[in-house]
Amino acid sequence: MKFIKNHLMFILPLMAILLGIEFYLVFDRTTTTYEKNLTEGYTMLVASKKPVKLESFQRLNRHIVTADQIERSNIVTEVIKGVSKSNSEAILKALPYFYNVGLDSYLHTKELEQIKHNLEADKNIKKVETFGSSYNSSYRLFAFIKLTLKVFIIFMALVSLFLIIKQMEIWKYAHKERMQVMEIFGAPLMLRSGVLFRVAFVDAIFASIFVSAIFFYVKFYWAAQSGIDMMMKNQEELFQVADIGILFGSAMTIVIVAVYSVVFSNKGVEE
Amino acid sequence: MSNVIQASNLTLAYGDGDKEIIKDANFSIKKGEFVFITGPSGSGKSTLLKSLYGQLKPTSGSLVVGGNDLATIRHSKLQELRTHMGIIFQDYKLVNEWTVSKNVVLPLMIAGYSNDIQETQARRLLKHVKLSEHGDRYPLELSGGEQQRVGVARALSKNPVVILADEPTGNLDDYSSNVIWDLMENACQQLDTTVLVVTHKIPTIFSLPYRHFIIESKGVYEVH
Repeated sequence: MKFIKNHLMFILPLMAILLGIEFYLVFDRTTTTYEKNLTEGYTMLVASKKPVKLESFQRLNRHIVTADQIERSNIVTEVIKGVSKSNSEAILKALPYFYNVGLDSYLHTKELEQIKHNLEADKNIKKVETFGSSYNSSYRLFAFIKLTLKVFIIFMALVSLFLIIKQMEIWKYAHKERMQVMEIFGAPLMLRSGVLFRVAFVDAIFASIFVSAIFFYVKFYWAAQSGIDMMMKNQEELFQVADIGILFGSAMTIVIVAVYSVVFSNKGVEE
Repeated sequence: MSNVIQASNLTLAYGDGDKEIIKDANFSIKKGEFVFITGPSGSGKSTLLKSLYGQLKPTSGSLVVGGNDLATIRHSKLQELRTHMGIIFQDYKLVNEWTVSKNVVLPLMIAGYSNDIQETQARRLLKHVKLSEHGDRYPLELSGGEQQRVGVARALSKNPVVILADEPTGNLDDYSSNVIWDLMENACQQLDTTVLVVTHKIPTIFSLPYRHFIIESKGVYEVH
């Protein structure tokens, strides 16, 4: 019982840190995809006096990546019904050129204003409509969710770190006697810390396996049946094979730092 | 005969060197000699012993053990030097989570001897200190005298060049103390090991010739 308790006291906080790391990875991938969809779905409307090429738009602002001209005849189709040919040609001639302008990323509303300002500085451009209010509300909600999750992950990592430091204190006490005696008789560092490393490595492996298993379950069982559109669409982003390596690497880094801190703090012989 | 230990103008101090314990000590100890170091409480006996196994670096002067100056020795060399020493403590310093046998063969384990050799040596040493039946027990299941015999067996396990003992009988009754002294006399006589014992009292029954140093007023003096 004591054996299991000793292991769990390191495995659980380590799992919490690994969960935090994995949450961050999943969240980052999911939000990147979501952001990409938002970016692709958004365009601003630009009206100009003369035809404008994409390069000219890009010279005005580097965030512009597409500029699709709206067919002018389509715009006036309804208006010119019943109007004489000469009049309809005059209407068409007086009509500005309309463009749907796409951007490279999901930008802050201030940057949207900057783009608008840059475009309107050109004498050929008559009007720019950013649809700022609906964009602004989506952007703020998205930014808020992002911030909340990041704060939660950081908080979780900090609490877990304190638990690991607490466990290091326990290790320090539990392994002090043996390590000091071995040091007196000339044991090198690796031999002195061998037992502690073995314990910690086993715990790191278990913690990595448990966290990977949780995310495998979430990806292949829970997400598929969750009915949550975003989860089902982004199922691939939930857990990737490379994540196992990242989790194991992170666990090992924490273990090595923790064990060496304990070993070095146990140097010298107590009176 | 060559000197195993040689101190020249040796000064030992704690802190930043401001709390001197030993000052300008000069002495030498040859191979196979049995040496007692006595002195009042707090005179620096244990401090001198700590410096001999490299736990405290000399503040000034030199302290050469087995040809290595402990004032300038590198950590890896110090580790290697310690594998040629047998150290015995008043509080035994056994690893309580290990069996008696495992404690005894610690120096062999550190030196990388095979399990077979370790087992053979453990049996031989435990027989030598009359603890053959206790190999699978744990230190805390033994009496103080028995624990110290385990400590002596551990110190002897790799035929050390020098045995350093810090008040080895300080916590023991007369009977147990005599057993410990016998074991150390045997080691000195049969293995030609240098034995240096810090003690507050030289045993009354002691058959070997020995040298006696006393630490007083920060100095180390030989008593003739």
